[in-house]
Amino acid sequence: MDLYQRLKSRRLLVVTGKGGVGKSAMTAALGRSLAARGRRTLVLEVDPRENLHQLLDVPPSGGEVTRVAADLYLQNLKPKAVVDWLVDEKVPIPMLARRVKESPVYQRFVEGAPGLQEMAIIGHCLRVVSGQAFSRPRIDTVILDAPATGHGIYLLTAPRLFAEAITDGPFHHLAQQGADFVADPDDAGLVIVTLAEEMPVQEALELRQALAERFGRQPDLLITNGLYPPLPPDAAGAGDPLLELWRRRRRINEDELARLERDWQGPKVELPLLPIDRGPALIGALQERLEAVLLGPRGAA
Amino acid sequence: MDLRAGRPPFLVCVGAGGVGKTTLAAALGLLSARAGHRTLVMTFDPSLRLKDALGVGAAAHGEEVAVPYDAPGSLHASLLDPRKTFDRLVARYAPDDATRDRILGNPYYDHLAGHLGGILEYMAVERLYEVARERRYDRVILDTPPTRQAIDFLEAPQRIVSFLDSGALKIALKPWFDEDGHLQPGGRRLGFIGRGLERFLDRVVGLQLLRDMSEFFRAFEPLFDGFRQRAQAVENLLASPDAHFLLVAGPGEARIPDTLFFARRLKAAGWRLGPLVVNRVHPRFDGGAEGSSAAERDGRQLFAWLGERHARGVDALRALLPPEQQLVALPLEPDEPTDLAALEAMGRRLQELLRSSATDR
Ligand SMILES: Nc1ncnc2c1ncn2[C@@H]1O[C@H](COP(=O)(O)OP(=O)(O)OP(=O)(O)O)[C@@H](O)[C@H]1O
Ligand SMILES: [Mg+2]
Repeated sequence: MDLYQRLKSRRLLVVTGKGGVGKSAMTAALGRSLAARGRRTLVLEVDPRENLHQLLDVPPSGGEVTRVAADLYLQNLKPKAVVDWLVDEKVPIPMLARRVKESPVYQRFVEGAPGLQEMAIIGHCLRVVSGQAFSRPRIDTVILDAPATGHGIYLLTAPRLFAEAITDGPFHHLAQQGADFVADPDDAGLVIVTLAEEMPVQEALELRQALAERFGRQPDLLITNGLYPPLPPDAAGAGDPLLELWRRRRRINEDELARLERDWQGPKVELPLLPIDRGPALIGALQERLEAVLLGPRGAA
Repeated sequence: MDLRAGRPPFLVCVGAGGVGKTTLAAALGLLSARAGHRTLVMTFDPSLRLKDALGVGAAAHGEEVAVPYDAPGSLHASLLDPRKTFDRLVARYAPDDATRDRILGNPYYDHLAGHLGGILEYMAVERLYEVARERRYDRVILDTPPTRQAIDFLEAPQRIVSFLDSGALKIALKPWFDEDGHLQPGGRRLGFIGRGLERFLDRVVGLQLLRDMSEFFRAFEPLFDGFRQRAQAVENLLASPDAHFLLVAGPGEARIPDTLFFARRLKAAGWRLGPLVVNRVHPRFDGGAEGSSAAERDGRQLFAWLGERHARGVDALRALLPPEQQLVALPLEPDEPTDLAALEAMGRRLQELLRSSATDR
């Protein structure tokens, strides 16, 4: 199966990477692309500072599923809301459920219990694609704009750690389902976004290794974002500080690209730093470039 | 703030992940040692090359190592290892070896405690406190974990303490289980909500989770007092005139609300916000976008656009800050500073900017 087909067949795509590398932008661009090809897609943002809607040119979702375009939907998820739904499901008396949710004990528990939030996020993705979270629209693929806290791998490993630490009961069950879902080579894929700079590349390589060790899997795609353009050979104006900065920042990019060439086996895409302000125009331009690489000039046309 | 002077003895570098806190902390450390102070830089998550430059390899995990740097003062560096710090804390406050081993051996601790929300941040200030008490340094510069938002760092210790203090634990600490590990019927009389909660915990959380958590926190119980007092002492240290915060922000307008929010929160908490540094700001260049090829013209246009956009971001931020708040824009360097000489140069540049912006005001 070619690369694009694989991405398109996923039920869950987790987009991860260090803070500020362009995860949200890639989530939006990929979402637009899959939806444009008839895959019913939900882009899911887990960030209290909502900003995906801006990139997609719709009002903030405020936690609800919002229609962006044909086959494209957006939701901003608060992990606590997922646990709240669980309470509603398991405590059938509404008044009792409400009082549980209002109690500070419960709130602290949800906030503080390790692994719970990650498990809730994955659990929500699973419920969305299996039609349990809502029946309409029926979603084929969730693209998860993963929070940049700590190491990206924790989001994927938390359900399993949880299932291992807690060996029975409903939470174990839920964690186990989530763990199976992210481990399934047909269901879930990982897209890593990085800049061609030392730290994010290092983290991308570590993430790749952790994924191989814990899941025996490879990421679906590496996106190296924000590249300075190559310096044209005839632009040699010695002593021009702009050219000097350009040359040396580009060299950092090239060193890291060379490192990835050496250490990264598997599909990768390079995207330039574009002089476009954040917003739908930027996403359109990034989508076009992504598709040019993933689909070839023919598919993109 | 002038690090060549003796004050402040504690400097905490805060900001969202990926903005250059660690590099700046190291640069300021060199500056401080150069000025004759015995200085410790406690870093978190440095790049490989920065580790090399400071000479803090795997050996530095949780330990302090001398940086090979010839200066009137001295420079030490350490890498924060949260797990080690946590283990050490348990060992210190455990009343006896049996309690200690019970905690360290609990599967819940082993699998998940390292991910207790905010534990990294808590451990960072915890280490600062330890080092402060030992008084082996004139100045300690603390780099902080790469949080998503700068504010997470501030709230973390409080979150941990309130989690430890919360009723969730009181419930977990209740003798839920009899000797055979079955839920004790009745136990204490619970009110209406209490019964609902109990049912919820039973039905949703599951007994196994409760059992493990309960065991974990029961084992922890003798430590709570020490822990809580310690958290209080850490807060006092951060609120004292000895501790200043250096807020590092990335360029670009998208980050402004975060930065402002954080600055206000610091002030409101009575903590001392030192300078605010916007790092990696694209410089602006004279001249238009001409060039001998289309590619060169495009490139020049990109740099002009970046310079404009970052300058706009810095201006917007300045306009929103109170006039007495010091703000400096540190330009993007052509090369990443990865050896001591380059770090020191960066520290000097920052110090220079701080001085000139202080007299501007
Ligand atoms: N290829 C690009 N060219 C120009 N600007 C870009 C590019 N990719 C991303 N950006 C810009 O970079 C900034 C960061 O991007 P984005 O918000 O997608 O990052 P993120 O990884 O989601 O960040 P966070 O970790 O804060 O969620 C945004 O202002 C975005 O518009
Ligand atoms: Mg984002």
